[in-house]
Amino acid sequence: MAKEYVKFVDVTKCDGCKACMVACKNWNDLPVEETAFQGSAQSHPKTTADTWNVLQYIEHENAGGGLDYLFRHSSCFHCTDAACEKVCPENAISYTDFGSVVIDQDKCVGCGYCVQNCPFEVISLKEYKDKNGKEYRKAHKCTMCTDRLEEGLQPACVTTCHTGAMEFGDKEAMIRKAEKRVQEIKGRYPNAQVYNPQGVGGTHTVYVLAEKPSVYGLPENPKVPTSAVAWKDYAQPIGKMMLGATTMALVGAFVTNKLFNKEGKEQDGGGSNE
Amino acid sequence: MIKSVVSKEYQNLQKEIVQLQEKWKRMIDPDTIKPNLDKAALAAGVPAAALAAIDFEISLFLQWVEEITALLIESSPNLKPKLADIGSLLNEETAIRWIEEAFSFNSVYFERFAEENGLEPWIPQFLAETALRPYLQLVAEKVQPEIDRGVPGSGCPVCGEPVRLAVLEDEGKKVCQCPRCLAHWNAKRLECSHCGNEDYQKIKFLTIEGDAVSQIQVCEECNGYIKIIDTRQYIEKPSAAMIDLNSIHLDFVAQENGFSSAGEKKITN
Repeated sequence: MAKEYVKFVDVTKCDGCKACMVACKNWNDLPVEETAFQGSAQSHPKTTADTWNVLQYIEHENAGGGLDYLFRHSSCFHCTDAACEKVCPENAISYTDFGSVVIDQDKCVGCGYCVQNCPFEVISLKEYKDKNGKEYRKAHKCTMCTDRLEEGLQPACVTTCHTGAMEFGDKEAMIRKAEKRVQEIKGRYPNAQVYNPQGVGGTHTVYVLAEKPSVYGLPENPKVPTSAVAWKDYAQPIGKMMLGATTMALVGAFVTNKLFNKEGKEQDGGGSNE
Repeated sequence: MIKSVVSKEYQNLQKEIVQLQEKWKRMIDPDTIKPNLDKAALAAGVPAAALAAIDFEISLFLQWVEEITALLIESSPNLKPKLADIGSLLNEETAIRWIEEAFSFNSVYFERFAEENGLEPWIPQFLAETALRPYLQLVAEKVQPEIDRGVPGSGCPVCGEPVRLAVLEDEGKKVCQCPRCLAHWNAKRLECSHCGNEDYQKIKFLTIEGDAVSQIQVCEECNGYIKIIDTRQYIEKPSAAMIDLNSIHLDFVAQENGFSSAGEKKITN
């Protein structure tokens, strides 16, 4: 069993350099996307299938009437109870031993349920064309560089962060660090808080936010949608049980049929002897 | 840990050896090592361990040789016939000689010793070197605060081992590491540790495709190389000895490309 890790993002140390975005594109070999001017230094409105992390730039009027220029490295939260994993009908989304949530591209059928149910809107579909010109779609998001974790390396974005706004390590240690940091910055940011929402069982990307989550466009109390829970935890197992029941019925029918046929044959045989 | 060309079994054996050496180091009375920080001698490249007065405890050394032999037999039982008689060959006098010769890395002596006693050539030096290292590492610990630079061409400022490994720290600071005594010292990013060459046009870097953390710095002046590992990317930082072992593929690449771990100035008429 591998160790469970957490990416700790302290947005108050971020200087908005976007090196994390470049490192992600570089390591994951993601293509450039042309985007329209957003009205700020922000390059993309949100994460996309080819841009797995986006640096948010937020102009925020603080309680004192002053202007705060807030930055946030936004990417997949790698929830402990991930809605995307729950709704995936093909079991293409799974948890790794490190705590990251990954998509198996071979299993993904591009249904888009994960996209619709992610409380943080970080999953996107990408359209492809096969050699016959047939269109198909696949879901993509940040993998927490699971391929690097398997090699004992930190995610590419963490490695490249020059201000130390991102750290990667043991889950408990990172959460303790986040809590300690909040105490340090309370004077400057009274609304500062650790964002590790328990509605999704806690996350493996834990933030220290300078302001309330809503300022960053984040849900205050994200939850796994009830429909997702109903689907994964009840409907699917019941479905499987039903499948079991159907199988049993089939086996039963087969056995009965055999017996019936046997009788039939005997009858037939008896008939031929006559 | 990065995938290594070294087998898991050998990596585990080395990890156990490192743990043993840690344990042995704690058994040494720190007062038996008296460093002599002669600035002029250090500046001239004399290793600090050679200047230090070390009162070796021979019985400990012999006990460690026994322990390492037992560990080797435990990990590969087929070594038993080759290692079983080592104990009988070692007395106090031989142990003192082993320490002296291991200290100066006298391979010729150990090869001769192996030949005279019908041992495989690697055995005597391996045992002597492994059992000597706790002393070297303790010297390094004691003098570390005074060691901030190496003298090009003189090897490790503590034990004299040729420089072959550096790591990148903080904002990209190059720190040379000695896998033998675990001393570390700062070095310029564009400087050859073997000949002191700082001509950027004659310092090149070889990289391995798909290996995001390693590079080999080669010097076209002296044909020397060192391995540079970006340990900032690791989740947990391994010891210098393990980094050195797991990056052995870089030594092969460098040496196959005509570079050496000692460096040698080209002599031209």
